[in-house]
Amino acid sequence: MENNISQQSKTENETPEIVIEESPRILTDSMFKKFFLEVASITTFTFRFFKEVVKPPYEFNEVMKQSFLIGYKSLPLVAITGFIIGLVLTIQSRPTLAKFGSESLLPAMVAVSLIREIGPVITALIFAGKVGSGIGAELASMNVTEQIDAMQVSDTNPFKYLVVTRVLSATLMLPILVILADGFGLLGSLVGVNIKGNVSSYLFFSQIFQSLEFNDLIPAIVKTFFFGYAIGLIGSYKGYNSNKGTEGVGEAANSAVVLSSLMVFIIDMIAVQITSLLQG
Amino acid sequence: MKKNSSNKIKLGIFVSLGLVVLILAIYYIGEKQLLFQSTFRLSGVFEDVAGLQPGNNVRLSGINIGTIESISLVSDTTVRVDIVIDESSRKFIKKDAIATIGSEGLIGNKVLVINPGTGGKKSIENNDVIQTAQPIDVDDIMISLKTTIDNTAIITGDLAKISTNIESGKGTIGRLMMDQTWRENIQSTIVNLKDGSEKFVVFMDKSQQIDNILLSINSNIDSTSAVIQDLSKIASKIQSGEGVVGKLLMDQSMGQNLDSTLINLKKGLAEFEIFMKMAQESWLLSF
Repeated sequence: MENNISQQSKTENETPEIVIEESPRILTDSMFKKFFLEVASITTFTFRFFKEVVKPPYEFNEVMKQSFLIGYKSLPLVAITGFIIGLVLTIQSRPTLAKFGSESLLPAMVAVSLIREIGPVITALIFAGKVGSGIGAELASMNVTEQIDAMQVSDTNPFKYLVVTRVLSATLMLPILVILADGFGLLGSLVGVNIKGNVSSYLFFSQIFQSLEFNDLIPAIVKTFFFGYAIGLIGSYKGYNSNKGTEGVGEAANSAVVLSSLMVFIIDMIAVQITSLLQG
Repeated sequence: MKKNSSNKIKLGIFVSLGLVVLILAIYYIGEKQLLFQSTFRLSGVFEDVAGLQPGNNVRLSGINIGTIESISLVSDTTVRVDIVIDESSRKFIKKDAIATIGSEGLIGNKVLVINPGTGGKKSIENNDVIQTAQPIDVDDIMISLKTTIDNTAIITGDLAKISTNIESGKGTIGRLMMDQTWRENIQSTIVNLKDGSEKFVVFMDKSQQIDNILLSINSNIDSTSAVIQDLSKIASKIQSGEGVVGKLLMDQSMGQNLDSTLINLKKGLAEFEIFMKMAQESWLLSF
């Protein structure tokens, strides 16, 4: 017993030395390892998604249900956000344009910035907060309560039923939410323009459509499919592969939001590069 | 189950709404780019397009009638601009129409402005090459503006010198404005001038009367000259021996006659005197 204790104290004494000498390497090694493992895991997950999405049977009803929950239920939040962003952007831009005496450019400027960038990104971030965390927490709690294992046992493909449906819904619903958010944003801008001026809605919208081009609209819509896909996939991945503990649920929800928000910005950056490349 | 179908309806409405907004946006943006209208094409060749881009508007009399389709560099001094224009405005663009590159505002987009051309000419055809005029480059404006600004700087420098001189009382204007004695002198001069002008008015009134006198003298001179003319005529007649006075003065024989008449008269008078003396002394009158 005494010997044991002395051994223990010996190891306790030795441990700090090892930590001091080797901890940075171990830490970086484990970090890199963890990172590459995560990348490999996500890649496998992505490939599995593409494999499962084309393979019958198709879970249409579940996709519909998830679309309702993910898309329709997010509309009020997205609409309010879009409206406020349009309103605030208009009010904030007015003084700068007034300096150049070009307040008449206000609708055009707000429309271009709203449709090209702010609408898609803000909506995607809201969507990541609401839907990404929702998917992550839901799948993680199913994982924790071993419902996913139960599905596997009962010969239901949990990946197809849980992941594919949610990722598909998120991919398809986000563009529609973005279009509607843009619409509400423009309505907010119309209100913003009319706070200090008097512009008819007809003139407002005709000015907007004069300034917009397909180059503004189409890339903005296309990139939202990728935003939706990334948010759905990351939320599902984090939930599906969560730790089997109560804290795993919170962790999955949290990391799903953080990672999907980051991915939204990364995709946005790549999209703007590709868009400018294509526009020459 | 019932709830499930109502959810599906809501989802359907949501998706349709999104698609309708998207289609409307595509329609209105496409309408601006004349995707859903019949169009015709024109091209123009410029030396410099001054930042014109594909998608910029084409204007006729200030109305957007088309867009720039493409811009391509043909050679180092030639840029070809292809434009798409609404078919309905083709009849207003004549063969001699001229395209120029303008600007929507000081910091606005560039626009291609079409001057419609003269009325009698034929309308332009599809794929025609439109005549062009070179745009006024902002750099040129800036260069001329710089010259103006330089000149203005010189002028303002001179003005500053002048105002300093005036301030320090140099020169006529400076002394005028700043020198107390000058000011007083000028004031008294002005008073004198005022006085003088009043007197001048009085003098002018009087001169009016002198005028009248001169006028009457003038008329007198006129009548005098007429009299002198008459006299001159008379004198010339006398000279030529016309009339009684003429003959009296100029005719030799009449003078002699008159002379002899006077001698005879004198003789007669002497005889008449003798006759009267004799008569007085005669008896016939002594009663």
